Amino acid sequence: MVIELLTKRYPGMRAWLMQRLTALVMAIYSVMALGRILLEQPSDYEAWLSFSQPWWWRVASLLFWISLSIHAWLGIRDVFKDYVPNASVRGLLLKLLVVMLWVYLAWATWLFLAYAGSADLVLR
Amino acid sequence: MQNNNLDNNAQNSQKSKQQAAKRNRPKNLNLFTIRMPINALVSILHRVTGCVLFVILPLLLLLLQLSLSSAEHYAMVVNLLHSLFIKLMLLGLAWAFFHHFFAGIRHLAMDVHWMTTLMKARFTSKAVLGLGVLATLMLAIILWS
Repeated sequence: MVIELLTKRYPGMRAWLMQRLTALVMAIYSVMALGRILLEQPSDYEAWLSFSQPWWWRVASLLFWISLSIHAWLGIRDVFKDYVPNASVRGLLLKLLVVMLWVYLAWATWLFLAYAGSADLVLR
Repeated sequence: MQNNNLDNNAQNSQKSKQQAAKRNRPKNLNLFTIRMPINALVSILHRVTGCVLFVILPLLLLLLQLSLSSAEHYAMVVNLLHSLFIKLMLLGLAWAFFHHFFAGIRHLAMDVHWMTTLMKARFTSKAVLGLGVLATLMLAIILWS
């Protein structure tokens, strides 16, 4: 029965579940980030690089950002639904929201997977 | 055929009545006219802080990229943190994050039917507000020490 609630016939349930799952991912990442900062206490550029460069941390950061994109989409969409009564204005805002989140996600993906991991950062 | 048309007309007028009723439904989303109990306060702050956090996303990415790009830029970003104005901004944003975090955990707890009676919910609301402020104060201590 629970599984049936998650099929396409009940999109609200899917949204509800996604909001929770992404929240969980972000909460775990946030606690991990705080823990790492407190443990390693990066205090200069070198330390900051070695904090950010491990591949698993960059993958975790990307997972965080993907979750954030979904979470923000659902959340801001709800705000628009409640506070923008004009349907065409709301539609426009929702499109703008989606574009913004995709741009941020592309930026974050490049930052985490390519930029933060490149070895020549240390040389510069 | 004639009958059918009449039926359709009757249905249509019924429909338009329903639509009119829908339009005339009282709706009050103006937050400034509502006296909010503590649970409502935590809830609306969860929403407001969520919006604030969404707005600063590009800033977050920009600062991260800048801080990684070179030692000079890293120093620049760290130097930013020495100005009082930026520190206060950061504290405000940190509070937004902490409140959203703790209020979100409260939501998750309620989803699994934990702390759902009115008195318990009031208690967790106070706890969320307190923890948000406490975490922000701890950050303030770190920033100024």
